[in-house]
Amino acid sequence: MKEEHRIIQQVYKAKKDMEAADRLISAYIPFIRSETAKFLKRPPVEGQDDELSIAMIAFHEAVRSYSRLRGSFIKYAAVVIKSRLIDYRRRESRHEGVISLHTASGEKEQPLEETLTDGVDHGETIAVRDATRREIEELSRQMKEFGVSFSDVAEHCPQQERTLTACRKALEYAREDGEILDILLRTKRLPVTQLARGSGVERKTLERHRKYMIALLLIYTNGYEMIRGHLGRRVKGGTAL
Amino acid sequence: MKYLVMECHTGYAVLLDEEGRFCRAANPGYEVGQTVEDPVLMREEKKKTRHAARRISGLVAAAACFLIFFGFGYYYPNYVETYSSVFLTINPEIQMDLNRRGTVVELTGTNEDGEVLLDGYDGRGKDKVTVADELIDRAIDMGFLSEGGQVSFSIDAPDEFLFQEYGTELRSGVEEYLNGRLFVIIEITDRHHSGAEQNADAASTAVSGQNDSGYGISGTGDSEYGISENGDSGYGDSQYGSTFYSSSASVSSAGRSSGVPAVAAGTGGNASGTEGSSSAGGSSSGAANGVSAPPENTSGTSSGNGGSSAGISPSTGGADGGSDYADSDYGSEEDGVSDYEEDNVAEDGPDGDD
Repeated sequence: MKEEHRIIQQVYKAKKDMEAADRLISAYIPFIRSETAKFLKRPPVEGQDDELSIAMIAFHEAVRSYSRLRGSFIKYAAVVIKSRLIDYRRRESRHEGVISLHTASGEKEQPLEETLTDGVDHGETIAVRDATRREIEELSRQMKEFGVSFSDVAEHCPQQERTLTACRKALEYAREDGEILDILLRTKRLPVTQLARGSGVERKTLERHRKYMIALLLIYTNGYEMIRGHLGRRVKGGTAL
Repeated sequence: MKYLVMECHTGYAVLLDEEGRFCRAANPGYEVGQTVEDPVLMREEKKKTRHAARRISGLVAAAACFLIFFGFGYYYPNYVETYSSVFLTINPEIQMDLNRRGTVVELTGTNEDGEVLLDGYDGRGKDKVTVADELIDRAIDMGFLSEGGQVSFSIDAPDEFLFQEYGTELRSGVEEYLNGRLFVIIEITDRHHSGAEQNADAASTAVSGQNDSGYGISGTGDSEYGISENGDSGYGDSQYGSTFYSSSASVSSAGRSSGVPAVAAGTGGNASGTEGSSSAGGSSSGAANGVSAPPENTSGTSSGNGGSSAGISPSTGGADGGSDYADSDYGSEEDGVSDYEEDNVAEDGPDGDD
């Protein structure tokens, strides 16, 4: 009982605090592994079985959606993990009959992936990835100055298409009006009022997605070329600044 | 759709899609900066925004239940709707609207004093007797009601039975409440029927008061009898008569008054006056009856009269002397005197003798 009480407290804390959620997940990895093993009917292999990561995200979902009314957390998490794994298996069933790249093949028992070429220059891919990583790290550092982390942004990201459009509209306005970017960089605060007045987007919408707006505005300020390039593929005018 | 891996955690990774959305997904060994396709996104818990339709249907259901209970069903007719009214008259006149259960739903002052009396008082939700008691208390405090005063309840009830019931209840309730403290006369009349029978000479209740203040109500058939409360004032008295004793108030139908006699409650008061006098009153009324009036009325009304005659104004004295109740049907006195000789009641005579 006491134990149960403690875990419920932890879960409730993890709902609000991403770091606490990380700690909770780390602490319960053995449980997650065992649930995955039950499902796979074999021990999952780290780094190979996607099921393990699915189970982890499912555990995370369980943390977020748990409420005391749902009974014991562990049992609830087990159900969530299991149903999420079933979903995953159904989704992946179209790939049945495809063998893993890791399957040993040939006489040398070499993993399959090493014997195949996909026509992509891996050296270049790795270079691009490195450049992107550096950008992201820089962005992350800069965001920290504003007290914003990627997890926060994911938390406050617009879900609805309509909201996303509204945010984009505000973003568009901010990009054209250099002053707002200046204010943001100088004061480390998002000038919500000015932005709302200038772009015609509801102030409330901007306040609710403040962290998201900060992240995207930062991306559009100092040369985060790679990230912008990624966004630019779909977002109209994403590259132009 | 391609996703850029922004941040990696033990249990999940933060990805940025091409439309600028950040999302969390399962992390099967991603690295920051990597571009991935087809990740397993984390399902955001459903916000508690329920469908409008569902919410509305819930509201409608609740409203329906509410209506059934409060509307045509149970609550409204029993608790809210005005079913009957009681007009409490001291000098202040107050209208008490009652629901089916006899609980006060609204209090209105129907004259100026009534408004004064009600100022700052809220009797809603209380039983009529409690409200009557409390209002009488207030009237006493404010000086509207004093020893020997009269309290009149005019009941407007939809049926005879309820009238009787309320009459009895109010009378006994108030009598008991004032017992030993103050002597007042309590009169119960039926407002509902009084209008119709107002003109009938037949019935009127009269109460003759005790002690020196020989108030009394003379219900003259047709109209303005008055009450002379204090002997001295007689009918000339400004307070009564014209002001609040509209004829309807004290004139009661013959039938009704018989049922619930308008009796003067001889509480406490003057010991001397009460008993003896009441008997006298009784007898006198009897006499009166003999003379002319329908027996029921008089018998009902005059009981409990104190020894009023003594205090009663000259007129009454005269009346007594003359004992011209000849045609006066009921036991009312004084006021009528001048205008209607017939009205004068003889009872006082005997009382005075006592």
